[in-house]
Amino acid sequence: MTLYEKAIVLSKPYLGPATESFIDRQCKTRLKIEPPQLMTSQLAELSKWVGVGAGLIMDQTKANELSAKLAALR
Amino acid sequence: MKLTIRNKLISGYTCLLILMAAVAGIGVYSLATLKRDAHDATAIGGRLNSIAIEIQVHNLEAQRRVKSYLAEVGKLGPEKARSLYLEEADFEIHEIESLSAKAVLIAPDVEKRAKFAKIVDSLAIYKQALGAAVQAAEGSDTGKQAESIAKYEAAADTLHDDAEDGEVAGRDASEASENDIARTSQRAESISLGISLAGLVLGIGMSIALIRAILRPVDHLKEVAESVSMGNLQIAVKRYSDDEIGDLSDSFARMLTAVKYFRMEAESVQEEALHGQGGAL
Repeated sequence: MTLYEKAIVLSKPYLGPATESFIDRQCKTRLKIEPPQLMTSQLAELSKWVGVGAGLIMDQTKANELSAKLAALR
Repeated sequence: MKLTIRNKLISGYTCLLILMAAVAGIGVYSLATLKRDAHDATAIGGRLNSIAIEIQVHNLEAQRRVKSYLAEVGKLGPEKARSLYLEEADFEIHEIESLSAKAVLIAPDVEKRAKFAKIVDSLAIYKQALGAAVQAAEGSDTGKQAESIAKYEAAADTLHDDAEDGEVAGRDASEASENDIARTSQRAESISLGISLAGLVLGIGMSIALIRAILRPVDHLKEVAESVSMGNLQIAVKRYSDDEIGDLSDSFARMLTAVKYFRMEAESVQEEALHGQGGAL
């Protein structure tokens, strides 16, 4: 399983059907990479932008929780 | 154990069943106690009363026969008079003796026991006086006859008075039994009423707690669903409980997040198309 796929699985309980679209969007617009190219070194950046973006569409506590989980992903 | 609705319902209604069984058990126990107390009270009071009446009947009968003996012994001769009257009188005296002893044993309190014990004592004196009177009546000394008959009559009067006291004590015991039954009934009524009310209050409390535990999160979800259906997506979905409804709240929150995201994404794409800039997302 690639890092990108792991991030999708981890985010699914929080974002549901919007998961793929949301993570892809963060990778493309914030990290400027194609989603499958996601690397461990970019997880901290992704986690930060997920925390910000998810905070707009869900409870901030939950968004922070997702962000922390993504940051800890290996 | 996870507090699912199923577990809440099972444990809630199990508690209610246990409560109802406890209430029923205590009710049955109270009734059994009442029945036993009433039976005991009635048995003792009634028995003492009937013993007291029997003593008095035997006493009157004994004295009537002794009187007949004393009146007839001169005419019939000792042998015949004894067999006609004294043997019967002896039987009556023996009955008084055994009934008094029994009454002393079953009397419910010291006062009544003392009254029946007094009958036993005066019966002993009566028997002595009767023996002396019979001896004198069958002899020829008229002076001794008069003296022993006078003593016998005094002893008979005392026995009669004591037997009457015993009868009163028996009647009192019977009345006290009725009072005991009334008191026990009242106590059982109060206990049953108290237990039933406590059971009712607890049952209502548990039902309310159970209903609140289930209905509160359902009401919240209903409110959220209505709000979303009216276009308001800025509403927080709370997870009230760690059960099936809690899981449903999570699903609903996830769905709401996705709807918000897709809407914002659509707006963002539209803005990008118009101005060539990225949105907040």
